[in-house]
Amino acid sequence: MQNRIIFHIDVNSAYLSWEAVYRLQHGEKIDLRKIPSVVGGDERKRHGIVLAKSIPAKEYGIVTGESLYSARQKCPNLTIVPPNYERYLKASNSMLSLLNEYSPLIQRFSIDEVFMDCSHLEDNFLKIAYEIKERIKKELGFTVNIGISTNKLLAKMASDFKKPDKVHTLFPEEIEEKMWPLPVGKLFMIGVKTQKKLNNRGIYTIGQLAKLDREYIYAWLKKPGLLIWKYANGIENSEVKNTSYAVKSIGNSTTTSYDVDNKKEAYMFLLAISEMVGMRARDLNLSGRVVSVSLKDNDFFSYSHQKKLNTATNSTKTIYETSKKLFNEMWNKKPIRRFNITLSELSSNEFCQLSLLEDYDEKEEKLNRAIDKIRYKYGYNSIIRSCFLHSGIKPVIGGVMEEEYPMMSSII
Amino acid sequence: MKVLMKPIEMIAWFTKNKKPIPLRYRIVDENNMYRVIKVDRVLFVEEEKLAGNRMIVYRCESKINNLRRIYELKYEIDSCRWFLYKF
Repeated sequence: MQNRIIFHIDVNSAYLSWEAVYRLQHGEKIDLRKIPSVVGGDERKRHGIVLAKSIPAKEYGIVTGESLYSARQKCPNLTIVPPNYERYLKASNSMLSLLNEYSPLIQRFSIDEVFMDCSHLEDNFLKIAYEIKERIKKELGFTVNIGISTNKLLAKMASDFKKPDKVHTLFPEEIEEKMWPLPVGKLFMIGVKTQKKLNNRGIYTIGQLAKLDREYIYAWLKKPGLLIWKYANGIENSEVKNTSYAVKSIGNSTTTSYDVDNKKEAYMFLLAISEMVGMRARDLNLSGRVVSVSLKDNDFFSYSHQKKLNTATNSTKTIYETSKKLFNEMWNKKPIRRFNITLSELSSNEFCQLSLLEDYDEKEEKLNRAIDKIRYKYGYNSIIRSCFLHSGIKPVIGGVMEEEYPMMSSII
Repeated sequence: MKVLMKPIEMIAWFTKNKKPIPLRYRIVDENNMYRVIKVDRVLFVEEEKLAGNRMIVYRCESKINNLRRIYELKYEIDSCRWFLYKF
């Protein structure tokens, strides 16, 4: 573990750069990266938020995640383009195959972020980092930031320093100078809420957090506190994992295109999401014991309920029945704009505990498997439940796209 | 040369081991008429994979209106489409 060299490669405004490059390749004259522009969801379907922004758009104060409406108010001549996840996956894959030429140890942290163990490069690492950066720019047409350090956390912090198209190092001896003066909210894992908590006790920079007494932070914020304290001190030693993580929960959600105010339609949305959750669980050969449902009403207030089952399940029917029960228990009759179902406490299907009190339905399992096979082969809508006919509601809901799409993770 | 990126209809020669070779293509001109252009010579072939999207770029030469013109064609591998890229 001594003297590792870890690269963190981060694509500069990923979705937007990829969209811009794709468009230039197809003969568009304007480079989206050079004008105020954003990649945003479809407003008519109420997915109208900023997914990625160009640097000129950033100068107008536009932030990722805000609504397109407010973005347009900040910058009236903003160019908005719709996302195309398939394209982005292609771009991300091409970067990965280029990086594979340099190291076999690569961890895809999200669609646009990659950790790479480059310990074998020894003293050459800086030269190689620049080479990688330039090759990506020349061959793939977009720019990246590369952060270099001895562990993943510091490498990730380094790649965030100054953008775009830069290589930064953040070795342990540089922490005090380069990382500690930064505002505490910049540290990995510190979100808005934690930042507020820390600010309330007069902690504004990463350095201030790092210098706190270990026992004090533990007594105050418990285990997560200890974690961010370690991060602030640059302590982190996980390996660059080639494989993806063990899945901890399987969940899908949807923002509906109109507010749902009756049970019948709400049930249909729950069913459509259950179909997706069940299918994914079966595909991973997993079952879960806890089903949780969360709803968001038209005032953007979220609430949720969960239930632990007697036996683990991955059956669409059981997930649906349970979510229906949970829904009935908690729904306050306010129109809903977002549904979510999550299956957790997962266990492998290899061995499963059957219940004496409940029937084990082998037929249903076979049916689910047959439906999955048909859907994987001919598309999600090849076989649907009749209640969705002419309803205008998609029979299977969830996921950005059909292929496995690497999403952001909070585990380094 | 100006970037046009105009979709065209193409007759190409797919060989055993080389990249496809453009032979002759049809384009709708400004008077909305079809024009068939024979590719006389391919000067060079280059592959690009910008944003991971693979395209083969051909710089070609043809006789158009009795003038030797140099221009570029593009073949998009994923969509199997040809374009008049630069003219």
